[in-house]
Amino acid sequence: MDANLVLLAIVIVTALSFDFTNGFHDTANAMATSIATGALRPKVAVALSAVLNFVGAFLSLKVAATIATGIVETGAVTLTVVFAGLVGGLAWNLVTWYFGIPSSSSHALIGGVVGATLISAGASAVKGAEIVSHVLVPAVLAPLAAILVATVGTYLVYVLTRRISGKVRDRGFKYGQIGSASLVSLAHGTNDAQKTMGIITLALIASGTITESAGTPLWVIVTSATAIALGTYLGGWRVIRTLGKGLTEIDTPQGFAAESSSAAVIFASSHFGFPLSTTHVCTGSVIGSGLGKRLAHVRWNVAGRMAAAWLITLPAAAAVGALAWAGANLIGGALGVAVVFITALLLSGGLYLAARRQPVNANNVNDEWTGRVAPVPTVREPVA
Amino acid sequence: MNAYIDLDALWKVLVASLLAGAGLAAVFSLSLVGLSSGHTAGRAGAALCLLIVAAGIVLGLYVMLAK
Repeated sequence: MDANLVLLAIVIVTALSFDFTNGFHDTANAMATSIATGALRPKVAVALSAVLNFVGAFLSLKVAATIATGIVETGAVTLTVVFAGLVGGLAWNLVTWYFGIPSSSSHALIGGVVGATLISAGASAVKGAEIVSHVLVPAVLAPLAAILVATVGTYLVYVLTRRISGKVRDRGFKYGQIGSASLVSLAHGTNDAQKTMGIITLALIASGTITESAGTPLWVIVTSATAIALGTYLGGWRVIRTLGKGLTEIDTPQGFAAESSSAAVIFASSHFGFPLSTTHVCTGSVIGSGLGKRLAHVRWNVAGRMAAAWLITLPAAAAVGALAWAGANLIGGALGVAVVFITALLLSGGLYLAARRQPVNANNVNDEWTGRVAPVPTVREPVA
Repeated sequence: MNAYIDLDALWKVLVASLLAGAGLAAVFSLSLVGLSSGHTAGRAGAALCLLIVAAGIVLGLYVMLAK
């Protein structure tokens, strides 16, 4: 078989794997609050989110050029760089999932590509100012904007409905919450599946399989949409638990206000071209919903751990991306890429097995927060 | 600082998301107040509120997809 074809196939499989982790890592963004408040049963919530992600992926077919354009010099982007960047993003997504930390998949991918570019083409190929204005500054502003909107929203929601009866209020906010969470899922599919479509299209163009003017082939759209939907359905229960239970205790009106805020900020930023990460927005909204309800408790140590993770997303993913490129380059050619691919596969499998030892799933996702991602297993007293 | 922060886009995002995120959430809350009042006028007000929310959602989807 042609070595270039092998290389292209590995890049496509890696991109779809990244898309898959993007899905299960971000299920929490839309559905953590609905699961925490009991508005939707856990399995129903992830199924609904998966379907909406799938539909969302088809809605806006104007593929964003690629994630890498504007961040690194286009000439520096080879298939191996794309591959190494994806490995960096994948690695960061899996590690943060293991620790149950919501973290931006876009930032992880950008970090991976930047790291691979730095080591392959040197610092001159990376646009530092672009990284500051398009990645670092938005990372700080996104949660702040969402905190503001969700705090105001939650406050208004509670003040306006303080006199009305429990039944109408509970049912109303339950439906409102499901509706607003659905909008977040739809927006996620539209924005995030595009990243993978863009990367696969870029790889196809780079390998000469399709011409630059050809546009995204249908099978790329279908496979990307399927990968992100499957990932969403699998559910990143560890992240869902942190966002839904760890940050603050959420009631239905708060969940409704948080998801409305997330949906509004995501829609507005995508319309006005301000690149905010879905994950940062949704986390900020959950914090805001805790602040807006008077005396609600926000666990700032959990929030602090997330902020720390966001700060090291870029360098950490860059380090893995650089390492992946160096490894592939050392061995050389399609064989090098294949060896790195298999290594990454084995390490991911190891992490999956490690996570199985203290599992978080649909059954225990809502257990009492005890300061750790995995709930303390209930020990059954032996019957005397 | 303006080289690093697109202030023009930022304030538009903030205003739009406050209106849509907090504003529509408030309008939705008002519809619940109307529904629970039991009066015909309350129900009519609630219907109007829900109509505003629905219009906001359609507008949001439209502007996002029409990029």
